[in-house]
Amino acid sequence: LARVSATTTPAAPITATGTASRNVDGQAIAITVFSTIRPLRNLLAPIPGRAFLPLLFAVTRRVAPLTATLRQLSFIHFARWAVITKLPYNGPPQRQGRLRYPHMYFESNFNGGWEEYIDAFSHILTRGMTAFWGSSYGFPKPLPTAPFKKYIQDNETEADHYYSAYPDATSTMIQRALVLDDKLAALKRDAGAMQPDAFAAAYRRFLTDVQHCL
Amino acid sequence: MRSSANVVGQAYAFMAMTPVKPGEEEALASYLRGLRAAGPSPLERLPRTHLARFVIVPDFHNDRSWKQRQEEHLDCQYLIFTSNFDGDLDSYLDELCSELAGEAAQIWGHCIGCPEQTSGGALKRYLKHNQINTGIFFAAYPHATTAKVKRSLRSRERMIEFARTSQGLDAAALQQRFLREFGDGG
Repeated sequence: LARVSATTTPAAPITATGTASRNVDGQAIAITVFSTIRPLRNLLAPIPGRAFLPLLFAVTRRVAPLTATLRQLSFIHFARWAVITKLPYNGPPQRQGRLRYPHMYFESNFNGGWEEYIDAFSHILTRGMTAFWGSSYGFPKPLPTAPFKKYIQDNETEADHYYSAYPDATSTMIQRALVLDDKLAALKRDAGAMQPDAFAAAYRRFLTDVQHCL
Repeated sequence: MRSSANVVGQAYAFMAMTPVKPGEEEALASYLRGLRAAGPSPLERLPRTHLARFVIVPDFHNDRSWKQRQEEHLDCQYLIFTSNFDGDLDSYLDELCSELAGEAAQIWGHCIGCPEQTSGGALKRYLKHNQINTGIFFAAYPHATTAKVKRSLRSRERMIEFARTSQGLDAAALQQRFLREFGDGG
């Protein structure tokens, strides 16, 4: 029968580095960033962000290839962007009214190192980053990465409590496990009705097929 | 008004941003930061939650070198709660307002406008009132529930172990062992 090289241990070593401990739960890292959007256009954003970002969000949601680039960053679990122009009013002493500037909220849930995450964002999503943050005050372009990392650090807020339902798992591990589980379901369904030799052949095919998931 | 941009697949991105009562910032921060040491996160009692966070935002960042026309400061500190969870918002908030009623008094009880009764419909209305809609929500595995993720991770562990320890078995022994390990819905 086929030999397998399943050397990966299920609980991978913790790789969360480069950020405050309160931003970490096991393998998962939280990043929380606010940026202030310019009211007028600038060199990086020919259309003012207040008008451009909602349009960009709508197009990105509808055009799959745009989010496909984000999928290349296989260490992200969930990420989101939101533009905030007004905060819900809850009565005094809260101040009522619109904010002077729109503000962009960004959060990500990922695994690995903080620095490597920003590096990957800068190098793989260079144009997308400029589209998202180009209208924000102080945005220094994604490359080179050192000024961009400083920009993110300056605008980042540390989490007070961060929770992951599966802290031992990386996003890649989860995506592989989901693929494996679906393929395993088919083999489990058919295994009992097969002759031993047919089962062994099917198992070999299965192992070859899911080798990258183990 | 709720937005469809909060949803990808079966996953929902919720965000509430609530103003912290002046003078109560430290008490709130201390409580939230102490949750980790106090035992399992209370969010574990919401089994549809994938990843969630509480963040106290003290102010917006201003920098003179940015040549911002005017600085902008928050009028008070704000508490952000975001959650990436399975299914629809209403039933999730119902669960949250029931399961976390005790903790909610120590969390949103420090926020302006929070109802005295920090549970049930009153808390749910408060959180929905303070919801911030998402512009773009990205989920790497948007169709997998938390339960499915956990089940698949366990399955993967078992498969790795099975593949490692079943090498060299003949066909009949391999099949018997596989059925023992994974048969009957295992």
